[in-house]
Amino acid sequence: MDIVLAAAADAFTWQALLAIVIGTWAGIIIGGLPGLGSVVGLTIFLPFTFGMDVITSMALLIGVYCGSVYGGSITAILINTPGTPQAAATTFDGYPMTQQGRVGEALGWATFASFFGGVLSCVMLIIGAPQLAKFAVNFGSIEVFALVCLAMLCIVGVSQGSTLKGILCGMMGFLFSMVGSDPITGADRFTFGQYALSSGLTLIPVVVGAFALSEVFVRFASRDDEAARIPEARLTFPGLRDIGRRLIELIRGSFIGGLIGALPGTGAAAAAFISYASAQKLSPRRKNLGKGEPDGIIASESSNNAVTGSSFIPTLALGIPGDVVTAMMMGAMVIHGITPGVRLMADQAQTVYSLFVVLIIVNVAMLILSKPSVGLFRYLFKLPQGFVMGGIVMFSFIGAVSVRGNPLDLVVAAVTGLLAYVLRRGGYPLAPLVIGMVLGPELESSLRRGLLISRGDFSAFFTHSTIASVLFILIALFIAGTLWSGFTQWRKDRAASESPAA
Amino acid sequence: MTSTLFHPRVLTALALLLVGAGLSVTAWQGPADAMLVPRFVLAIWCAAALVVLIGELIRRAPMPRVSRSPLPLLMAAVLIAAVATASLGFLIPVLPLVALTLWLFRVRQPLWLALGTLILGGGLWFLFHHVLLIRLPTLLTNGLI
Amino acid sequence: MNALRHSLVAVALVGITQSAAADNLDIVVPFAAGGATDIVARSFEPIFSEQLGVTSVIRNVAGASATVGTAEVADSEGNPNIIGYEPAGALSIQPSLKDLPYGPDSFTYVCRTVSNPMFLMVSKDSDIDSIDQLIEESQEYPFLYGSSGPGTLPHLAMAALTVKSDLQAQHVPYSGSGPAMNALAGNEIQIMADTETILENYDLKPLAVFAEERIEGYDDVPTFGELGMQDLDFAVWQGIVAPKGISQERADEFAEACRATVESDRFETFADKAKANIAYLGAEEFEAFVARRVEINKQVLKDAGLAE
Repeated sequence: MDIVLAAAADAFTWQALLAIVIGTWAGIIIGGLPGLGSVVGLTIFLPFTFGMDVITSMALLIGVYCGSVYGGSITAILINTPGTPQAAATTFDGYPMTQQGRVGEALGWATFASFFGGVLSCVMLIIGAPQLAKFAVNFGSIEVFALVCLAMLCIVGVSQGSTLKGILCGMMGFLFSMVGSDPITGADRFTFGQYALSSGLTLIPVVVGAFALSEVFVRFASRDDEAARIPEARLTFPGLRDIGRRLIELIRGSFIGGLIGALPGTGAAAAAFISYASAQKLSPRRKNLGKGEPDGIIASESSNNAVTGSSFIPTLALGIPGDVVTAMMMGAMVIHGITPGVRLMADQAQTVYSLFVVLIIVNVAMLILSKPSVGLFRYLFKLPQGFVMGGIVMFSFIGAVSVRGNPLDLVVAAVTGLLAYVLRRGGYPLAPLVIGMVLGPELESSLRRGLLISRGDFSAFFTHSTIASVLFILIALFIAGTLWSGFTQWRKDRAASESPAA
Repeated sequence: MTSTLFHPRVLTALALLLVGAGLSVTAWQGPADAMLVPRFVLAIWCAAALVVLIGELIRRAPMPRVSRSPLPLLMAAVLIAAVATASLGFLIPVLPLVALTLWLFRVRQPLWLALGTLILGGGLWFLFHHVLLIRLPTLLTNGLI
Repeated sequence: MNALRHSLVAVALVGITQSAAADNLDIVVPFAAGGATDIVARSFEPIFSEQLGVTSVIRNVAGASATVGTAEVADSEGNPNIIGYEPAGALSIQPSLKDLPYGPDSFTYVCRTVSNPMFLMVSKDSDIDSIDQLIEESQEYPFLYGSSGPGTLPHLAMAALTVKSDLQAQHVPYSGSGPAMNALAGNEIQIMADTETILENYDLKPLAVFAEERIEGYDDVPTFGELGMQDLDFAVWQGIVAPKGISQERADEFAEACRATVESDRFETFADKAKANIAYLGAEEFEAFVARRVEINKQVLKDAGLAE
């Protein structure tokens, strides 16, 4: 008990609290600006942490990380442009709600779901880190392959209008991710002999082009239309009764995010898509999803914020960074003389407990700071449209070029922007493009590694382990279910079109 | 019939099919192990594109009204600025781009136009490049601009 | 309002003077911020720029196994305001593996900073205790060894071992040391070659060291030479390079600042914490060292069938 109190005392110093407030607020704003995401935010703040003590520097970085994951939802809801890739699934229901004039409600649910997911994953981290880490170790290449296959199927669910066009876009995203060196043999693919292409395409420039730049082009047509103005941002928190009614959705989303975060290398964007797909199968209000249903926002936001806490599970329990962001955090620990690794929990218990406390405070701070942040965005979006669009173009450019300091990424963003505009005009959904790009690399490398491990025998995948078998059965059920509902829908449509004639 | 053939949706689907087919050629010429997954993906791509193309041809959506709009100008400006960044640095290509965006989105008062360009283009560049030290592409070797 | 305006002006002035003053040195790190190399570079940078009397900025130019950032340095021929903090792979492996816009002779070599020998290791609860046992057991059913990617040092060291011994093992690349460690913990792979940092952090069992002499602190871990396998000498090192075409005077300034930095107490304290083994080499020795490593690695790649 003493150690917990000592840890809490470490986290409640004024320096740490100030770092949390600054970090979280900056994170929300950076996340909300299209183009700038978690990685750019952390890169900005990393140099400042050199002069701080461990807890303060962690507080700052965790604040930026959690804040940016939440902040992405603000622009996703207001202008249909996810501020970060993690919030791409928030646009499905968030933007329709905005169009229906329910901005306040949408932002309120996004904020509350983010807070709920964040806190629940902290609880998962505190109670079950060692067990969850042990469970995550069971996810070898073959299990990950099965899981990612299951996640890929959500392309079908999010392709409103045309499933085929969605699949086409998903494959396009998948192919985008393959440009550059092959992760297994190192051979160059689709580079056409151009050295510039051998570094491949990364997610952020593509997301910036597909969402932010193409949104500027789409809004261009309606630039003189008063009705197409960006609505005023408001924030109305859901009432207790509403929360009670949707509690199951909140818990499911948070659990999915929490579990996915514990697996190294999957990440928040994938969690949001998987959670959204599961809401489409399980939510009692699933018929309204995609048309402005809070359950969609809850599914996306509770799960992507739940990843923030649980991505520390592999980091703290095994010393294995869950994603780029926790990798950066590990770097900051090394600078301060803490060696992340299997013995971290035992050797540095007090620091680890302080981290838990910091994570919880950050989520509370996020809830409190959501109002002023939304207020800031309200102020920004009240500016004449030209300034807003000019700003989006600028932030898109800065975001694309600063991901890894490669000017080629800017060209990628611009070309994707033009391509995305043409695709949107042709009725192609763009979310599958992002899903393909997020999940594609993991799908491919886990398949190829699995084949190396099973010595080229694909049939061994199905019986490799219990987890793998269960996941493959789920995939079969999902496909059968989708085909069946498609078939009954088709019969219903046919009966409906025949009955007036008869 | 010819009007359906030149419908933008048909052309988009056709272009996607052709790109898929073109990439398939590359994929089938490459090494078998590295190109294993790309071949699968491209096969699905081509099949989906073909069905979409047939669908667009059957549906014969009404021809959209062609209106003259300066949108292609904005698109070209974005593309040119993006390409120019590699050689001219970040600041110089971005200033005219921001000015053009403001102009096209109806910010036409000279004062606001100039101010907006300076603050959005120059200000943000300065903030990131010189204050936050997130280095953006530069023109001069000493990194000043 | 006035105060606000003044502070804004002050911030602007600080910014301008910071980056426009005297020379501004760009230190390219060819990895994303926060990585293992980046952390060392970020600790190196303030001391180095102080020694040199300039302001400097770390620029993370990541991608394509660190070759994009390295190519950027090589491409800045004659620019005295850019250096690269380079990993071993980008300088001594990638040029023999791929068609790159630079080669080992595209740089002015400044110094080597750190170098950590690699260990061959297995999981702690593995029942294998020696190399001989490992080789013997691999005859029945080949082992799998992990790496942090194709063409990385962990890959190369193991590939060389399989060529020079009877060890039967197959390569399974991961997207970094972390995921590979996860696979080792789940027994998906059985062997991994990496540095002391990894060995300690993940509590693994070292079987042998890829070095000419035994390593302090690991006195009971034999070298491959002692086990009868010659020329298995692999280390993960980092160093500073500048572009070609800078003046001899500037190159000397860089070299002097680097020596002073590496010998400074501040850097030593950090290196101790981060388990980075300081191994300074001056400009000429570093250049000769890289040239030798390039030849050795090229031969390994050829023998293992990874390059022509």
